[in-house]
Amino acid sequence: MARLTGKRAVVTGGRQGIGRGILDAFMAEGARVTTCGRGSRPDDLPEACSWQTADVSDPDQVAALASRVGEIDILVNNAGVQVEKTVADSTDDDWELVIGVNCRGVFNTCRAFLSQMSNGASIINIGSISGRVADPSMALYNASKAFVHGLTRSIAVDHGPSVRCNAICPGWIETGMLEAGFDLSDDPVAARKDALERHATRRFGKPADIAAMAVWLASDEAGFATGQFFTIDGGMTAASPINTGLF
Amino acid sequence: MILDGKTALVTGGRGGIGRAIVARFRREGAKVYAADLTQEGSLAVHDEDGSTFIKLDVTQEADAITAMELIAEEVGTLDILVNAAGIEIEKSIEETTLEEWNLSFAVNATGTFLTSKYALPLMRKAASNGTSASIINFGSYDGFIADPGLAAYCATKGAVHALTRAMACDHGPEGIRVNAICPGYVDTPMLQSFFTGDGSGGGGKTIDQLQQAVRDVHPMRTYGTPEDIANLVNWLASDEARYASGQLWILDGGLSAQVQQMKL
Repeated sequence: MARLTGKRAVVTGGRQGIGRGILDAFMAEGARVTTCGRGSRPDDLPEACSWQTADVSDPDQVAALASRVGEIDILVNNAGVQVEKTVADSTDDDWELVIGVNCRGVFNTCRAFLSQMSNGASIINIGSISGRVADPSMALYNASKAFVHGLTRSIAVDHGPSVRCNAICPGWIETGMLEAGFDLSDDPVAARKDALERHATRRFGKPADIAAMAVWLASDEAGFATGQFFTIDGGMTAASPINTGLF
Repeated sequence: MILDGKTALVTGGRGGIGRAIVARFRREGAKVYAADLTQEGSLAVHDEDGSTFIKLDVTQEADAITAMELIAEEVGTLDILVNAAGIEIEKSIEETTLEEWNLSFAVNATGTFLTSKYALPLMRKAASNGTSASIINFGSYDGFIADPGLAAYCATKGAVHALTRAMACDHGPEGIRVNAICPGYVDTPMLQSFFTGDGSGGGGKTIDQLQQAVRDVHPMRTYGTPEDIANLVNWLASDEARYASGQLWILDGGLSAQVQQMKL
């Protein structure tokens, strides 16, 4: 049964990864989806999905995007970037990039679309487990996701009852980035095994795992869910970072 | 001496963390009752620390009543209660017997309930003197995130966290503050037992290597001492903490602030 039939959705950053997984799932559930990104339309984007070129960190581009798209029922703020540095190593450019996309980008789209969201609409922000516990050498990214969590609660409080707003906090999701990380390790096989052992599910996440929660949060089944963070991480953050069995 | 003139009862007062709390309270000028199963508690020896020993099994209602009668008779009021008595069964739920499960709850959760329940009348009296009385429970970082093979322990600590908030709500209006300290890895007999226990030492490491590996996972690169925990208990017990109530205070060297440390 299609749970999003007739709903109009915007998913930012749908070129690949989690964003692509969410737009695929939304379309399978009957939604009409628009996605956006900085470049031109990806060749492999499903034909039924509308593409808009827009940089979410730029308020003018986002305002123009909102006026082109019109009224919507679902907004997914998925576009994000990460820079792997400590505070001491981070440059002003790093700040502009990470805070510009992850913080200002979410703010820009929420502000632009809030006035044109239908009654009962759902905003889904992609936060992160890193907004709750710190990944080493990811200072700006971690902080930017905590900002997303704080903004999520504020929107839920300020714009209920007409709009619901929740965040999904993904853990380690299988994307090209994850594999590249293992390849950089001295012993990629051992690194992969160790990381898997730290997941109760003994597997990493897939974009479809995040998309499944996004579909539910976007649907009317989630009508009483707002202001909350939904962690989908295969149980990783439920366990202590000390696992003496792995030492 | 910020606890001058105050009276305190510390359960598990002859154990790893309890002993340090008793010593600190004494240094800060409090009259201290150290309650435990035996004079030595979980430590091999006991040095005279100026506290009054009360033989108390926290799972026994009659023991709690007797302890409070003694304090009522000798002092008449109680300003500070620290529920530090605790046990840890190192097993998954499948390996845990019903007896072990019940014992875990009897000591860690029911013990906190019983001692607090019978201490309340004395604490209300203390609070009526104009300063707040303070109950400090022992939760754990394991009440938030799980260590493998500690199922019943994790569950009891989650119960203590919820009980702490409930007690703070119910007894705040009477001038009684209730908080929980949630320690991470602290060097106690309980931790040493964890290191030597079944299934804790992976990869054929010696105890020393295992301990170093555990230290290395902490942002502070060390685990805590009982004195580190006593420092915060002391503050929560004092009138400086008069606005602190209903909170869970994690003290773990930053351990739970970080995500899993993959070996990449």
